[in-house]
This record gives sequence, structure tokens and C-alpha cells, in this order.
Amino acid sequence: MQITKEDSQRAISMQFWSRGEWNILVRILQPQEDAGTAVLRTDDKTWIYLPKSNRTVEMQASMMMTSWMGSDFTLNDLVNQSRLTNDYAIATSFEGQRDGVTVSEYTLTPKPSAAVVWGKIILEIRQADLMPEWQRYYDEDGKLVRELSFSDYKTVSGRLIPTRLVMRPSDKAGEQTAITYENIVFDAPISEEMFSLRKLR
Amino acid sequence: MSGQLVRLAWRNLWWNPRRTLIAMTAIGLGYAMLLFVACLMAGLRQQMIESGIGLLLSDIEVHAPDYYPDRPVHQTLGGRNGTDVSALLAAIAADPRVQAVSPRVYAYGLVSATHQSTGAQLLGVVPDLEPKVTVLQTRMVIGSYLTGRMPKGVVMGDKLATTIGLDVGSEIVLLTTAVDGSMGNDLYTVAGMFHTGLDAMDSGLVLMPLASLQELLRLPPGRIHEVGIKLNDIDTATTTAAALETQLSKTLPVRVRPWEELAPELADYVQFNRRVTFILFSIFFLLAVMGIVNTMLMAIIERRRELGMLMALGMRPVQVVGLIVAEAASLAVASLVLGGVLGSPLLWYLQVHGLNLGREGGAVSLAGIVVGPLWYGRQDFTAYIQAALGLGITALASALYPALRAARFRPAEALRKV
Repeated sequence: MQITKEDSQRAISMQFWSRGEWNILVRILQPQEDAGTAVLRTDDKTWIYLPKSNRTVEMQASMMMTSWMGSDFTLNDLVNQSRLTNDYAIATSFEGQRDGVTVSEYTLTPKPSAAVVWGKIILEIRQADLMPEWQRYYDEDGKLVRELSFSDYKTVSGRLIPTRLVMRPSDKAGEQTAITYENIVFDAPISEEMFSLRKLR
Repeated sequence: MSGQLVRLAWRNLWWNPRRTLIAMTAIGLGYAMLLFVACLMAGLRQQMIESGIGLLLSDIEVHAPDYYPDRPVHQTLGGRNGTDVSALLAAIAADPRVQAVSPRVYAYGLVSATHQSTGAQLLGVVPDLEPKVTVLQTRMVIGSYLTGRMPKGVVMGDKLATTIGLDVGSEIVLLTTAVDGSMGNDLYTVAGMFHTGLDAMDSGLVLMPLASLQELLRLPPGRIHEVGIKLNDIDTATTTAAALETQLSKTLPVRVRPWEELAPELADYVQFNRRVTFILFSIFFLLAVMGIVNTMLMAIIERRRELGMLMALGMRPVQVVGLIVAEAASLAVASLVLGGVLGSPLLWYLQVHGLNLGREGGAVSLAGIVVGPLWYGRQDFTAYIQAALGLGITALASALYPALRAARFRPAEALRKV
């Protein structure tokens, strides 16, 4: 993860494991001062292990929605992305040619019961290979807050995926956070035990 | 001559003791009522300001230009390089209007107990300096306030502690995003809990030593977010803030805000309270004025014959006016003394014991301001003196009309009538 701020640069390297939709484990490898910090998403809770304090702490919803390690992503973005279909109603808002590519655009509006921060999300997908191109987040007043764009589509273990994600906040020109997948393995054998608080340490 | 006039006036007053005593009682009670109202209203203002400003804010706050109200962690005074904090504090304290200064650091973070956690505002203060600016240390319900000897000891609101199951001595983890983006986290011990009656503080504030919070946020000692300032006289907040901004801006980009700007709804409330006080004051004042005018006028009409006699014996009209004004002045002074004597125990009681407004221990939180259950009075000597001067001047002015009438008496006519 490469964070570009107005006056600083910062790189974080992380390792992800996921099993099914609901189990996610993230461990920070670099920089040194945060190395060993780990986040565990189980069915409905998110825990963070702090090596410096040697404690495991349950994350509050409010902390999940704030900047993760100074980046333009929130912890929620990293571990709850797969829940979009749970919290939002999806409608097709455009289908056809854009810049010579046949695309579908979808508008996601939050379901009444969903506890989410966005007023709506609009995303575009290439029809040919169903790859996402961009995802725009709007606040409740319909103002664009940030844009996530996908690129560097590669075939890994027989699957096509975007290997580079860039998040740009719309109110801070020049600032962005890029996530680049350096190495991905699909269908690796991971036991359920991997996603336990005991293993988090 | 004037001494003689006053003596004569004083003797004349007691020519008819009942009339004089009634007048004195009317004016005296009027004055006592004004004292009572002024004392209660000043007490209410004091209580509002104290709970609104004295707990967490301060009379004046100094920030970096873009810091308030969003409070981003990196917007410290002096920017990325920080500033010489002790020199800044000394420069502010050099202003004779400033009573005390306190440097502060703010952050938002997660407070985590063994099984539960919750978000809270983290406030770093210097344990020896902050109590000179705010009064939170007087609201401790259990344990003790911060001390320099316990760098990892923190103080929090009682509701916050209860929510996540903490006691004094419990170990907690504080987790926040440091200024460089890293995960600032460390272990701390709960040293004490406070209860203010303000929910935002009781369930959402953790106080800790300034240096400890700077360490957690990876801020060097020269980077602070705010300087809280207590003034000798809170009424000078606006002018002092402007002067400090001009002076400090020469060396450091700052924004200096008086409490009226930091808590505008409280400023409106205080303004409203002043207006209500003024209206109540006017009503009591009017009553007192009517009492004086009536008494003086009656006294002159009743004493037509006597005044005619004095003039027939050679007293000049100017002297008659002087005599009557002297009588009015003596009456006013005696009445104000009486009112003060009657009112003092009441004022003392209001200040010491307060007026009980409701059930025991049940304070009311109104628009972020804690009031009651005891309504304490506060001595507002400016208002007392204004009221006394106002009543005294009114007594003199209202004696002037009857006196001028008396001066125009023709002795022969005055003697013949009645």
C-alpha cells in the first residue's frame, strides 16, 4: 500500500488471508514500527492485535470508518468490501459503449436498515470480462467524496483480477492511496483455525 | 454651612419618624430586592460559564490557523516543526490580563478494556498547569486526578468507564492513528474518574499527561494543538484574544479565540441572562423610584407651612432647595444602609448555601450547561454599586421637583394655607 499525502509518502506492506466471505486476516509486515499488527474479521466482529501492547482489541464501528494507518482507505474498506450486496440495493443505471468499451454502470443505494456512511455508490464494470473499472462514493447530499479505480488486470491462478487499486479523495488534489497486489494465491488450503483470536498473536 | 444643612435635614427627617421609616423601608426593601436579583443572576451566569467553559474549554484558546474545529492531529502550533512551547507559554503569560496558561494535545482514539472498547476523545494536559485553567479536578468522584508521577495514569468520565467495565486501577489500551499514520497504541492505568453532568464529557473523554499523549501520537515535545488561557477577568476575553493574536502572529501563525467564539450558544445564553436581569432590575428600580418620589412630594406638601415660616424668617429659596435635597440625600443614604443590612445575610446565604431547586443530587443539563440542583448566588459588587448609585441619584432627582416647587412658595400664602 503506497500512501501519497500532500507532503509525505509512506509505504505499508501487508499480508491478507481470506476464507469464504467472512473470514479475513490481515497482518502488517512493514514498516517496522507497525510490523506484527494484525486484523481479524470473523462473522460479525473485527479484532486488532497490537504487538507493542501485546493486547487484542475489538474494533468499534466508529474506528472502522476512519482512516486506516493514515491512508485513504478505512479498515471497513479492507475487510468489509464483500458485504456491499448485503447493505445496498443495486440498480443498473447505464449499459452501452464508453470510450470504445461496452460497460455496465450500477448505482447502489443503501437499504433502509443498513448502517453505512455513503449516500450512494456508483460503479462501472466491463461487460466483456466483468472486471470493475471504478467505484465512486457519494455522501448523503449526493456529493462525490472519493473514487476507487481499478487497473493492471492480470490472470492469476487462472482468474482475471485487477492487481492495482487506487483511492483518491475528491477534496484533496494530489493525494491518493494505491494498493498493489504483489502476489496472490487462490484456493490455497487454509484451515479455519487460522482465523481465531489465538492465532492472531 | 453644609454640615449645618445636613444636621438640619436629618433633624427634619425625624420630625415625623413614621413617615420617614415607611419611606426608608420602601427604599431599603427595594434595594435589598435588587441585591437579591443581582446576586442570583450573577450566580446563574457564573454557573453557566463555569460548567460551559471551566470544565474543558477556557476563557481563550490559541490554535494553529487551520486546526479548529476539525482538530486534525498534524495541524499543531508551528506546523510540522512545532514551536518552543515554554517560550510561547511565557509570551502569553506575560500579558497582565492572563492568570494561567495550559498547553494541550487532542486526539480521537479507541479505549479498550479486556472485553469491550469504545471511542473517546483523548486530551493530553500538563497535570500541574491544567487545574489552574479548568476545574475538572474538582469533579473527581473516585481515584485521583493526573499527576506527573504517573505518566501512564489516565482519568476518564464515569459513564465511559462503566460502559466498558473499568474500575480505578484497571489496565486499558489506547489505540489511535499517530501523526505519521502508524497505529499508536500503549497500555495505561485508570487513575480516577470524574462526573460533570455533561454527557459528552462523562461518556467520551479521557484525560492523560501531555507527554504521554505526544508519545502515543508520535509528536515531538514541541508540537501541541492548543493553549488554554484563564484570564483575571473573563469579561476581557474578546479584547485580550485580539491583542494576543496580533502579538503572537509576529512570530507564529495563530488564531486566538475568546470563549464566545468557542461556545457561541453559551455566549447567547449569557447575553439572554443579562437581558433578563436588566428587565427585572428595571421593574424593581421603578418601584423604588415611585416610593421615593411619592414620599418626598408628600413631605413637601405637608410641610408647606413650616417651609413658609422658614422663608418668612429669611431663608433664601436656594437654601430651601438645598435643605430638601439634603433631606432626600440623607433619607437615601439611610435607606441604602438599611437595605444593605437587610440584604447581606440573604446574599451570604445564597452564596454559601444556595437556593435548592430540586431533588437532591439531580443536576439539570441544559444546552450543554449543568445547572442546579442548588442555585448559588454570586456577589456582583458592580451591580450592587450601580443599584445604590441609581437609587441615590433617583432619590435626589425626585426631590428636586418638590424642592423647586417649595422654593417658589410665597411665604405669606404658604403660612395662610392649611
